[in-house]
Parts: sequence; structure tokens; C-alpha cells
Amino acid sequence: MIQLSYLDYLAVEGKSRLHRLSPKKKIIGMAVVLLFIVTMRNLPGFLLLYALLLAIFFLSRIPLKIFSLTFYPLIFAVLFIFISGFQIGFILLIFLKVLCGSTGVVLLLATTPYPSIFRILGKVLPSLFVTALFLTYRSIFILLNVLEETQSALYLRGGLQWRHPWRSLTNISNAFGHLIIKGIDASEKMYESMLIRGFKNKIHYRGE
Amino acid sequence: MSHIHLPDGVLPVWLWVSGYLGAILVGAILFRFVKEENLSRRLPLLGMMAAAMILGASVEIVPIAYHINLTVISGILLGPSLIFLATLVVNVILALFGHGGITVIGLNTLILSIEGIVGYFLFRFLWRVFKRLTPAIFIATFLALFSSTLAMIGVVSLGASHYEELIHQEGKGIFEFHLSKEKENVSGEAQEKSEVNLKRFIAIVLPLGFIGWVLEGVITVLIVRYIHRLRPDLLKLEREPA
Repeated sequence: MIQLSYLDYLAVEGKSRLHRLSPKKKIIGMAVVLLFIVTMRNLPGFLLLYALLLAIFFLSRIPLKIFSLTFYPLIFAVLFIFISGFQIGFILLIFLKVLCGSTGVVLLLATTPYPSIFRILGKVLPSLFVTALFLTYRSIFILLNVLEETQSALYLRGGLQWRHPWRSLTNISNAFGHLIIKGIDASEKMYESMLIRGFKNKIHYRGE
Repeated sequence: MSHIHLPDGVLPVWLWVSGYLGAILVGAILFRFVKEENLSRRLPLLGMMAAAMILGASVEIVPIAYHINLTVISGILLGPSLIFLATLVVNVILALFGHGGITVIGLNTLILSIEGIVGYFLFRFLWRVFKRLTPAIFIATFLALFSSTLAMIGVVSLGASHYEELIHQEGKGIFEFHLSKEKENVSGEAQEKSEVNLKRFIAIVLPLGFIGWVLEGVITVLIVRYIHRLRPDLLKLEREPA
């Protein structure tokens, strides 16, 4: 999840043609990719779609270390193989669906800041839900800072050691407990500052 | 493990559309119980708990494809209505991160919110019974995760005929061509092998899930005990033993 802040940085600072394209067009593009994934059933078609997405990925000058993120959902797709009785055609189809979906999504995120996506969603979804998305997005960065500090403190004090699994587990859990308490304190402060700024169940994002 | 990490296009359209409709319906019912003022005040907390769930989901235990959800602890702190919105937000952000398909967000929300809602009610009930934090939290978490895994298996099973269709499609691609050619000579055993095998899926998911339920149960107990030591007011426990 640490990559989330890096993705956000890439989306904001990137200068490729895809970065400059309007978020609305990119979301429509992602919807088209999804439509293909849902309706298409032949392997050559998926190979072509994947090749196209890869070409866009590399043309957009997105760093290779982000590319590894597209393989992450394969961990779970492996479980799905067992349903098929190891049919090679089915397995390839599932894997290509996973790769096309994840490459499309990572491509969208690495070239479009999250708030811009939420703003487009705000035009079709209830404001309450979009406000919750904005607040969660902001909270991820607050908690990431707390988590990084706590993680460093644990490492420096020898709190995470494979030789002592129970103690390590207790320390990790305490770190999450600490994260939750800090998060709740921060949420109370956030609510007070939002009230001062005239918050009424909706966050207005101007995209600046 | 408990929610579906399926890609888009695997589940039949009727199933994931029903998931979205079900999520809208359940959300509408649950939000009738929340006062607007209370909702506005608790939105930042909802955002924080959703963020904590997302950070928990990023810690992957690769050999068993499991990550901690923190849904039960979030359910206890947020209550049954807000945990539903929190799980929806979590699933949207995780889907945007390539962690599960976009079309299955509705189904994932329903399944994941089972954990939060069942966990909340079970914890309240078990706290009254045991008056002790550790068994109440552990059993509530374990059973909540067990219920949501069963729901996940149920959803995957509902798509069985669609997977059959995907496996046996003919003449729609180079690999399918070979399969359809061979199909004329398949024996009964081979035919059986090529059919959708949900039993094998369940046989893999349940033991792996069991490890995950115990692990999450232990972690949730430790987290709640930590919170109880520092901020017992957050747990809103009634009639605490002396």
C-alpha cells in the first residue's frame, strides 16, 4: 500500500500524453476495457487487448516497478484454477482477464489522481459516498505516516523478530491498535476543522 | 479469503448485477437507522476505519493468499450501518488498486459487510454472556469470518453453470478449437475432470480460510485488548466487570 503514495505522485507529476488526457475520457476508456473483459471470450482477442494495454503502459512512461502491481491479483486467480479441473484454455482465459483488468486499472491510477476520479464519480454517485471516498483517501496518507513511524520504532527496538513469533504478532497487533487510536483522534480533529470550514456532508473538489 | 478476489468477466452478468442491486437495497435499509447529524459527525471516523482496513489488506500473507481485514474491529467501532458504507468504500478503492474486479464490488461489499455486521452483533451478545473480552472477540471474529467465507463459496457456486460455459465454449479461439476436437473421444473420467470442480475449490478454500480465521481472531483480540487498555470508551461496553 506504500505504493499508493508513489502512484499518486506519478499521477500528479507525470507528463505523458495519457497523463494530460481528461480523467473523464480515461474513465470511459477503462469502462470500454471492462466491457471487453466481461463480454469477450476468445484468447486471441484477450492477447490483443493485453498487448494494446502494455503498449499504452510503456508509452505513458510509467516506471517498471509499478508494472509488478498488475501481477498481484494473479495470487487469487490461482485459487480459481481448481474450479476448472486444470483446463488450460480456461486458465489462460482467466489469467488474461485478470491481467487486462489489473493493467487497465493501474494504468488509470498511475496517470489520473484519485481525487479527479472521485470527482467524476461524484457526478453519478450519492455525495455521501463520494465524501466517504475523499475522507478515506485522505486518511490513508495520515495513517501511512503513523504506520511508518510505528514500524520504524518496532524495528529499531527489535519488536519484529522471526525467532519470537508470538511477541512479534503481539507487537504488530499493538501497532494496529495504536494506528486505530491515532486514527480516531485524527478523525475527531479532522471533523472539527471541517466544521470550521463549513462542512455539510459534502466535499467540493475543484481539481486544483 | 473471505471476500472474492475474482477478476471481472468470470462471474455471470446476472450475478454481479444482482450484487450491485443487493448492495443498494441493503445500504438503503441500513441507512434508515442512522440520523443525518450522527452520520455527518462520524464520516471522518468512517474514513479512518476504511483506511485502516485498506492498510490491513495491503499486508499479504502470500503462502495462504490471506490478508487481515480488520472488518470485525471496524464493525464494533462503527456499528452495523456505517460498516456497510465503509466496506463499500474499501472495496471501491481496492478495486481501483487492481485488488479484485470492479464488477464484483457489489458482491464483495455484501460479503465483507457480513463480517462487520455479524461480528458486531456477535461481540455484543458474547460480551453479555462471557463478560470477558478475549473469548467474546475471538469467537465473534472467527464466526463472522466463517459466515462470510460461506457466503463467498455460495456466490462462487452460483456461477458454476457459467464457468462450465467458459470451459466448454467451442470454436471461439485457438485453444478452444483443440479442446472441441478432443471432446469427441473423451472418456467419462476425462469428461468429469473437465467439469467445474467446486468441491476441490471448497477443499482448498476452507483449510486455508481456517488458518486465516484463527490468525485474524488472534490479531483482533490483541488489537481490542490494546484499545481496551488505552481507550475503553471506544468499545462502548455495557456493565463492565470490576
